[in-house]
Amino acid sequence: MTMMLKAEGLTKQFVLHNQGSVTLPVFAEVSFTVERGEAVILHGQSGVGKSTLLRILYGNYRPTLGHVHVRHGGDFVDIVTATPRRVLEARRKTLGFVSQFLRVIPRVKTIDIVKDPMLARGVTDDEASRRAGDMLARLNLPERLWSLAPTTFSGGEQQRVNIARSFVDPSPVLLLDEPTASLDATNRDVVVELIDEARKAGSAIVGIFHDEAVRDRVATRRLDLTAYRAAA
Amino acid sequence: MSLERVHDMNAEPDPILIAQKLTKLYGDRIGCRDVSFSLWPGEVLGVVGESGSGKSTLLRCLAGIDRPTGGEVMFRHADKPISLFDIPEPTRRKLMRTEWGIVHQNPRDGLRMDVSAGGNVGERLMDRGDRHYGKIRAAAIDWLTRVEIGEDRIDDRPRQFSGGMQQRLQIARVLVPEPRLVFMDEPTGGLDVSVQARLLDLLRVLVRDLGIAAVIVTHDLAVARLLTDRLMVMKDGAVVEEGLTDQVLDDPQHAYTQLLTSAVLAA
Repeated sequence: MTMMLKAEGLTKQFVLHNQGSVTLPVFAEVSFTVERGEAVILHGQSGVGKSTLLRILYGNYRPTLGHVHVRHGGDFVDIVTATPRRVLEARRKTLGFVSQFLRVIPRVKTIDIVKDPMLARGVTDDEASRRAGDMLARLNLPERLWSLAPTTFSGGEQQRVNIARSFVDPSPVLLLDEPTASLDATNRDVVVELIDEARKAGSAIVGIFHDEAVRDRVATRRLDLTAYRAAA
Repeated sequence: MSLERVHDMNAEPDPILIAQKLTKLYGDRIGCRDVSFSLWPGEVLGVVGESGSGKSTLLRCLAGIDRPTGGEVMFRHADKPISLFDIPEPTRRKLMRTEWGIVHQNPRDGLRMDVSAGGNVGERLMDRGDRHYGKIRAAAIDWLTRVEIGEDRIDDRPRQFSGGMQQRLQIARVLVPEPRLVFMDEPTGGLDVSVQARLLDLLRVLVRDLGIAAVIVTHDLAVARLLTDRLMVMKDGAVVEEGLTDQVLDDPQHAYTQLLTSAVLAA
């Protein structure tokens, strides 16, 4: 057993300074660990803070209290207190976030979007091209689209480009925010397979899935956030 | 190329630029006050805030154009930190020409309007000591191509170019000597949205491939999100919030940053 991620006493409240300094408590004192090869699925009603928690684990949101220790190379990085460059380095090599949305950059080709994370990790250009092509084909994106920028693609096509980019060389710690939402059944099955393969290859996964069937197929453990609900 | 992009995780390089309690006063009026940060090679720092927040003043002090009232700017040169305003003026000017570059909001401030496009780019190589005409011309053509200006325009004057082309030419002029550090003041200000997107993508790729450090001043949060790793938010001359760019924009903590991010219409 290798611990990959340790959340420690995570508490989040939003303070809205321009709306009468209203304080919105979300959750308090959330602690858990995720091992290599585990898929922990966050559970609880809408508004319980699943996405907020996932964003805190990635360093996109800042917790009010608590720490997020991620195994990065030989040691642990605390995503909450590390310098921005350390966090970016951890994201480049270790910590991946997959949502259903692709952040489209004008003029960048689909194949290059998928290759980019591999190149950043030192994979050769030839190998990156080959693996990117295989992954796009597996996600049923026709080859004629590969050399186009996805700006004009449909929502579902953009989503599959994003998934190809995220799973072509899965990060050791993968955070999944509804990556299968709004996909058709065929492609949803491919994504479920990809998640399972990544986990079996050793990725530690924390995810949010609304589809009960997908959840059952992906999860090795559930974490119900309802118990951590902060008093309003 | 791919080898250059693999960063050594264990080696902790020294910052290329350090600002310590940088303050600039204009009489009683505050330009910027007590600004401190470190910038590492390959890192892109964004400075955002509304006009009058002190971001351009800060940039002018960092780039050695204006002398600060207080505080220090340390630049790492030949593996030693040197204090920018403690060195003689000619030395500072030489550093400004060879070690860093400035992209001005208005291309006219950064270009020589009466010199050909090729001359604007080649001149910087001559500053650096290159003397071989053929090589200079070849490098100029290479750079004009990289910023998507056709080779057939090499002998034209910048005043014959559109605003977007002038800005791309300025970027080529700044980047051709391969500076280690680049300062940009509203690099896409005053351009059409379609031209902006093209320029932004160009900047993004160039900064990444050359591994240069950059400080980018902008009031456009979308520009900051696309180009920068880290963000400083300025108000009334002081830094009110800083951190990872996506964190500052998506979970702003300070009242002013919340106002700034919520005031933007989603495109």
